[in-house]
Amino acid sequence: MHGRPRRAAKPEDEEASSAKAAKLRDLQAQVLQNQHSGTYTKEAIGLSFKLLEINPEAYTAWNYRKLAFQHNIKELSEPEAIKSAIDDELRVVEVALRQNPKSYGAWYHRKWLLNQKLAPVDSKREFGLLDKLLKVDARNFHGWNYRRFLARFMGVPDEEELNYTMDKISDNFSNYSAWHNRSILLSNLLIKQNKGFESKQKIFSQEFELVTQALFIGPSDQSGWFYHLWLLAQTSTPDNPQLIASWPCSGAKLSSSLVKEKVEQNTLSSIWCHSLQERTVPMVLYFNEPVKGLNQSSVKLKSDLDFGKDIHWRALSMTDSGYSSCWTTYLQIANECSSSQQYSVEVSIPCSDDIVSRSGSNYNCPVHFTFTIELISDDAQDIDLFDKPVAYFSEPLESHGNCEPIPFDLLKITGALVEEDSNWHFERLSEEIDLFRELPDDNCKFVKLTLARLLLACAAIKSCGRSPHERKRYCEEALGHFSDLIRLDPSHKQYYEDERSLVLMDKLTCDMETFVKHCSVQVQPNSIPLNHVQLCKLSLTHVGFAERLMWVQVLDLSHNSLRSIEGLEALQQLVSLNISNNHISSFTALEPLTKIMFLKVLDLSSNEIGAHSMDTTRYICSSPFSHKIEAHEAFEECQKKNINVEEYWDAILFFKPLKLGQLDIKGNAVASKENFRTLVMTLIPSLKWLNGECVN
Amino acid sequence: MVRFSLGRSARPQQHAAVRSRNRRPQQAQPSGGDRPPPPVPAAAPMDSSPEPEPEPGPPTGGDPAPADPEVPRLTVTQVEQMNVEARVTDIYRVLWGGSPNTQSIILELWRDQHIEYLTHGLRHLGPAFQILDANRPWLCYWMVHPLALLDEVLDDDLEDDIVDFLARCQDKDGGYGGGPGQLPHLATTYAAVNTLVTIGSERALSSINRDNLYKFMLRMKEESGAFRMHDGGEIDVRASYTAISVASLVNILDVELAKGVGDYIASCQTYEGGIAGEPYAEAHGGYTFCGLAALIMLNEVEKLDLPSLIDWVAFRQGVECGFQGRTNKLVDGCYSFWQGAAIALTQKLVMVIDEQLKSSYSSKKPSGDDACGTSSSGCALEKLSAAVDYARFGFDFVQRSNQVGPLFHNLALQQYILLCAQVLEGGLRDKPGKNRDHYHSCYCLSGLSVSQYCAMTDTNSCPLPQHVLGPYSNLLEPIHPLYNVVLDKYYTAYEFFQPSD
Repeated sequence: MHGRPRRAAKPEDEEASSAKAAKLRDLQAQVLQNQHSGTYTKEAIGLSFKLLEINPEAYTAWNYRKLAFQHNIKELSEPEAIKSAIDDELRVVEVALRQNPKSYGAWYHRKWLLNQKLAPVDSKREFGLLDKLLKVDARNFHGWNYRRFLARFMGVPDEEELNYTMDKISDNFSNYSAWHNRSILLSNLLIKQNKGFESKQKIFSQEFELVTQALFIGPSDQSGWFYHLWLLAQTSTPDNPQLIASWPCSGAKLSSSLVKEKVEQNTLSSIWCHSLQERTVPMVLYFNEPVKGLNQSSVKLKSDLDFGKDIHWRALSMTDSGYSSCWTTYLQIANECSSSQQYSVEVSIPCSDDIVSRSGSNYNCPVHFTFTIELISDDAQDIDLFDKPVAYFSEPLESHGNCEPIPFDLLKITGALVEEDSNWHFERLSEEIDLFRELPDDNCKFVKLTLARLLLACAAIKSCGRSPHERKRYCEEALGHFSDLIRLDPSHKQYYEDERSLVLMDKLTCDMETFVKHCSVQVQPNSIPLNHVQLCKLSLTHVGFAERLMWVQVLDLSHNSLRSIEGLEALQQLVSLNISNNHISSFTALEPLTKIMFLKVLDLSSNEIGAHSMDTTRYICSSPFSHKIEAHEAFEECQKKNINVEEYWDAILFFKPLKLGQLDIKGNAVASKENFRTLVMTLIPSLKWLNGECVN
Repeated sequence: MVRFSLGRSARPQQHAAVRSRNRRPQQAQPSGGDRPPPPVPAAAPMDSSPEPEPEPGPPTGGDPAPADPEVPRLTVTQVEQMNVEARVTDIYRVLWGGSPNTQSIILELWRDQHIEYLTHGLRHLGPAFQILDANRPWLCYWMVHPLALLDEVLDDDLEDDIVDFLARCQDKDGGYGGGPGQLPHLATTYAAVNTLVTIGSERALSSINRDNLYKFMLRMKEESGAFRMHDGGEIDVRASYTAISVASLVNILDVELAKGVGDYIASCQTYEGGIAGEPYAEAHGGYTFCGLAALIMLNEVEKLDLPSLIDWVAFRQGVECGFQGRTNKLVDGCYSFWQGAAIALTQKLVMVIDEQLKSSYSSKKPSGDDACGTSSSGCALEKLSAAVDYARFGFDFVQRSNQVGPLFHNLALQQYILLCAQVLEGGLRDKPGKNRDHYHSCYCLSGLSVSQYCAMTDTNSCPLPQHVLGPYSNLLEPIHPLYNVVLDKYYTAYEFFQPSD
């Protein structure tokens, strides 16, 4: 598609050109004639060569040559003769490439020839050709494609190809094609070798040195930065997927009872589980990267409780293609029980070939933990959360007398998550940080952003058994960089704000000392004790580290700048959520909530729902409301009530699956629209309180 | 005013690199995305450095071995980049120095000259075009399409000649070759069909043998789902796009043709975010457009990592205001379309999702809307769910308004095309210093049209003057960005190829 006519430069060339064109027309006609008649004589084949010499794009001639070759090769038995026939073809390709080094047909003809596997390939010749062509245009992607093909075909060790890319980079470190090929080769090597960390460490140390060198020579050159990015991604993610959190956590005790003395000692280890009233326990597994393949054999559950035949794991995150870092299943308890009884549930995730990450690595970090479920058969008071509308504390938590701290040690499932090689990773990244700190700042956003990324990668490693103070220091520094970036590069403000939010959440939740200031067990009169977390007025635009919040039952995120709440879907214990006074601009942005089955109280007031016609959220998630088929019924229901379905489809899809008892939505443009109240009442029959008023 | 940095300026791409990857998976994407600031009335490059850059050292002529880190030397690539930036800056400096009146003159689209260049090409091509002998339908498309963009009507005779010529390129077993008697080829089939659709006459449209075309496409399909360019030809994303585009346009796309294509294309998306020509290759602007457009026509766009694709494309627009085709390559006018249209497509993706949702429940389409293609009025719902109406995806797509502003700097792109790609004698080019040609004329003008219309919120109105750089007479006809044919022509073809019952 990118073929370009090369104009004859001078008028006096025109005549010669005309003569050539006439010749070409003749040639073209003859070759087509031969193609149609299947004439494969030496002379006929020679004509096709002449044509391709002038016009390598004449793909019909390439095809003709393939047919001719196949036809004639059958007659040949002498290896020498076969070799010479192949040589002829190779020569034609070379001549054609001299004329047009980007001829699809020519390159493909060569691949096709080699694939015939009729004679040993002269690798010197092949690589020599590539050397020549890539010298002329080092970014010719046809050349690089052919090189990858050839290396695979000839079984050239990836190490050797790495050396070649090195040569190319030494020639010109801006050559991104060479860097790119390095990333492909190294990925291959790592998969193939699998020799453990030593070789990976060695390789990556060298790579970091190499790319840093290039970055110091030309800090404004993009190629190196892209490669550095890839390296960092490789270094800071473990090779195999790991489970980083679960709900219920190890040792947790879930109870359906509300017995008074239980309230006194309510801690995370003994938690009132609302869903047990419906004899259901949501279970969540959180991995460090998207995986798939969770099923009854990859996640083994052992218990005296009867969960029915099928335990079906569902992906919770909105990522496509079946991979998700967060998985849930609803355990349905089928047991009859006569009195208060405790049952333990053993969960084990052995090494598994079923559970695989996007890159194809399997799960090899076995985990085993136990939690208990207390079932109380007595006609325990059917807890009604909604006698009165639930109010949120407006003041900071410490000032509240009836709050209890949360025992954080129970949040970690196992100690097996500390990586063996984290020291190496940490040292490597620290070196990088030191280096980049030396780069003249000049308020250069690339240096700042890379530094921030490195610091965060370091902080993540730090979490595995190192001091939280150090971790916080890294977060602090990264926060500083993001604040600078927001100022320096306002056109990407939103992105930096999102990043900043994540770092802030990391900082606030990474250790008990800080986190506890935001947590409490909330005991309200005549109600039940609930685990409460308050993260207000922090200018958060984005939610992160949801794996640390999975035990939360009441979450207050009000007075932030949230545009998205992606990630909250992991909080399957959530009963009450306050996201008032944020920048949520559409119902689509709230989709994660439709996956929280036991959410009862939702405060959406003072957001921007319905205020903008544009909804950027839908860019971000690949397929919002993927469960659209289920919505059919709801649409019909609304149509019957004369609700404009076309206008409200996203509201309908959002409210339909919710079983709220209380909803606050005042202060949103949508709330004042015609029929909106009817819509809400129609779709949420369980609703008792709307905007603070009792509804029938 | 915007400061233009010479030489060692940092292109904005770099931090595109640093963003988007290496994120914790659960924080998949930022909530707001990277949206450029609202378009400013004056032309301004997208991402100028807020801080003055140090003055560059003199070009060293590209010393190849920068051995000593103490003395920064420049690579060949950097020197070339600097030269282009300097050249472009010289041009823009004239613009900024001029009074509003002169600016308006400088920013004019030289319609007459382009029309002259293109029509002349249609009637007579010099012998130098011999190397395009296997691409003759392409030459037709590269001239007929930009002429349609300029709203230039061709003589009936000329149109008939083109239709006749393309009829001779049509293979008896379906598809179009690069010239009469040549093997049918998917790319030239795309060019031929787009040309015929652009001509738009009954004669042109009915000259396409759709039954054979369908059979040809099935023959080009591999077991994996990917397409081959031609019998015994190469397999790549380009082949998939041209096949799917043509099939969708003439309404022969079905499940059989669509099977597996999406997965193949998705496997070509690289860690950078863009799409490569084949697996393991580098992300490339042309293939990114092809892959994205094909997936939209297949209604499988969710197979791509869209946020990272948007990122990659957005950051291919550099300080020169035009787009580069690959990371660290020079700016090139033709990517005004390949990259510009790709990112403009994403502006409408939002709405595709809405539309699917609506059509899945709503049977109350306007009664006069025969485009629905359903003969019996009552059971539209069952019909929609039973068979996938592929032609509908392209139709619905273009109906949608852009509910999100441009995700690239559309005015800057227009500035590049008008000032750096136009050739005074008519025709457009890659970059200053290069010669004009029909390929670049076609894709620069297509890109110009895309960037003029992408800031519109309502499909039925005209772009506001502030979205059209230069005099308003610069406004070109709108295109259907999936097929790159002029929109009106597309509608004619769409109706023509609807089942007649």
